[in-house]
Amino acid sequence: MSDETITLYKHMKDLPSNRLLGTGTPMCAGCGGLLAIHQAYDILGEKTVFVNAAGCMTLLAVYPYTPFRGSWLYTSMASAPAGAQGVRDALDIQLARGRIKPEEDLQVVVLTGDGAAYGMGMSSTSSAIEHGLDFIYLCYDNEGYANTGQQSSPATPHGARTSTSTGPQGFGGHKKDLFAIWAAHRPAYVATVIATEPVDLARKIEKAKGLKGSRLIIALSPCPTGWDFDPRETVEIGRLAVKTGMWPLKEYENGKVTHTRVPPKRAPVEEYLEKQGRFAHLFHPRRNEAMLAEIQARVDDYWAGVEADHG
Amino acid sequence: MYRIRFHGRGGQGMKTASRILGSAFFQQGYEVQDAPRYGAERRGAPVFAYVRAARRTIQERGIILEPDLVIVADDSLVPMPAAGVLQGVTPRTVLLISSGETPETWRHRLNIAGPLLTLQAEAAAGAEQHFVGTALAGAAARLVGVITLLALEQAVQLELAGLGGETLSSNLDQALAAYELMAPQAGLVSEGEALAAAAYQRPDWVELPLDEADAAAAAIHAGATSVEVRTGLWRTLRPVIDYQRCNRCWWVCSEFCPDSAIRVNAEHFPEIDYDHCKGCLICVAQCPAHAISAIPESSEAQP
Repeated sequence: MSDETITLYKHMKDLPSNRLLGTGTPMCAGCGGLLAIHQAYDILGEKTVFVNAAGCMTLLAVYPYTPFRGSWLYTSMASAPAGAQGVRDALDIQLARGRIKPEEDLQVVVLTGDGAAYGMGMSSTSSAIEHGLDFIYLCYDNEGYANTGQQSSPATPHGARTSTSTGPQGFGGHKKDLFAIWAAHRPAYVATVIATEPVDLARKIEKAKGLKGSRLIIALSPCPTGWDFDPRETVEIGRLAVKTGMWPLKEYENGKVTHTRVPPKRAPVEEYLEKQGRFAHLFHPRRNEAMLAEIQARVDDYWAGVEADHG
Repeated sequence: MYRIRFHGRGGQGMKTASRILGSAFFQQGYEVQDAPRYGAERRGAPVFAYVRAARRTIQERGIILEPDLVIVADDSLVPMPAAGVLQGVTPRTVLLISSGETPETWRHRLNIAGPLLTLQAEAAAGAEQHFVGTALAGAAARLVGVITLLALEQAVQLELAGLGGETLSSNLDQALAAYELMAPQAGLVSEGEALAAAAYQRPDWVELPLDEADAAAAAIHAGATSVEVRTGLWRTLRPVIDYQRCNRCWWVCSEFCPDSAIRVNAEHFPEIDYDHCKGCLICVAQCPAHAISAIPESSEAQP
């Protein structure tokens, strides 16, 4: 993020201390996705309507309980951007007919997991961007179908054990580069965030909120249940994802990608991997040197490309 | 037919325990149903699993209302109405509670005369919590009295094959040790009578007045109604702030609490909302001043 950006959030102490998201949700203790949502909601404010595709967060608002201050719409996995189109159109019609005042307008926010964002819902998202839909898409990426027991998804990292990839090599595929796919549509804004970097997250949500058009945000969301770690480690593991370079924090705007946090000296990826049960087979009963080297090499290649681009 | 109900918290392996017991029955030639109750399988939340086993076709479906054996992996669930531990318990129902306290204490506390056993699962806290489920499955196998050691062993091998060497063998040890421990009570659990649809007694018909549409329809008239859900019941460890050491940085514990359960008061001191804190302990790990510590929920409950 460039220095001249005008932001309310320069330091941790600038972050809001009142919490908009209600307590009492059925998310797992230590949920990294809920952490990102509460931080984002504090910045988005009450005038937000959520359109939620099926996934973990479907359980956020189970009648008659909701943690939100406003409306929430539930769609099937593939259809959240279509739902957002409907809500946006309805709001626009109400505005045009003078039935609501401009200051009563709502920000339409799609909320989905990685199963919908990287997989089933990709086609409808592509269409929404193509139509120039004015909305924010917030993906909580826990790298698998966590709500149903952590089956592999197109966001699962290479080598991770999931309930559908239990062999000694873990998941054979590679995490899809959703940021690049979304950016290739040339929307108003794309960003990656993580709740363990709350100032970076707040600034990106603030920026997205101030823009018009399609704005898409991916929040890596450490998942104690699916990734198999103690819930108290959620923040530590998120920090390691950034420190090792596994989760680059960046944004796309006006045709340009900028990295907002470049780890000065990247920690070895195994510091991140060894803390999670889903990668335990890479360390026990003996180290899978080939796989560890492959994962490290991919991260190194990525950052070599970044350094070449940035000079 | 045997009707067995497991109560535990998400993460304690209740679903797996029900599968192990179900497989063990199956090895003995029984027809078996085993299933967790879908919908609430969150780590720390009360969870349920059911096993039915019979020598002939099982026609019953759904949750078990009249259990022959009730197994409780976490004794803090017993007094919790939402966990429904004592639901449908009759004088012949056997209760097996994983607890450090004696059966006499529990019998007195619950004021029940029926058979009640405790199992001191040494893994009741910490990293070895995984073993509670397998130990209880082993104990249950002995209590029903119709499952051989070999069948139990095969069932554990079958259900935990994916966990691999060391974890599998330590779980197996726990299951077999609990099986041995229950030897004096072998066969304590007896089969409940078969229920026939013809004998089903309908509950008394209750006339409910038809509500007006605006009262009956799905409209929520306030924001953040989820505060009515007391997720504090999920907690086994309680974070406690030492206000002498808190340096009122105010944002760290509150910002990193996924559940919005830490508020900051007017003096910039954080306050934990124990009605909703799920006990993830991120605040304990993240507090820069190390001013937050974790204490067992049960010790806090003592006056």
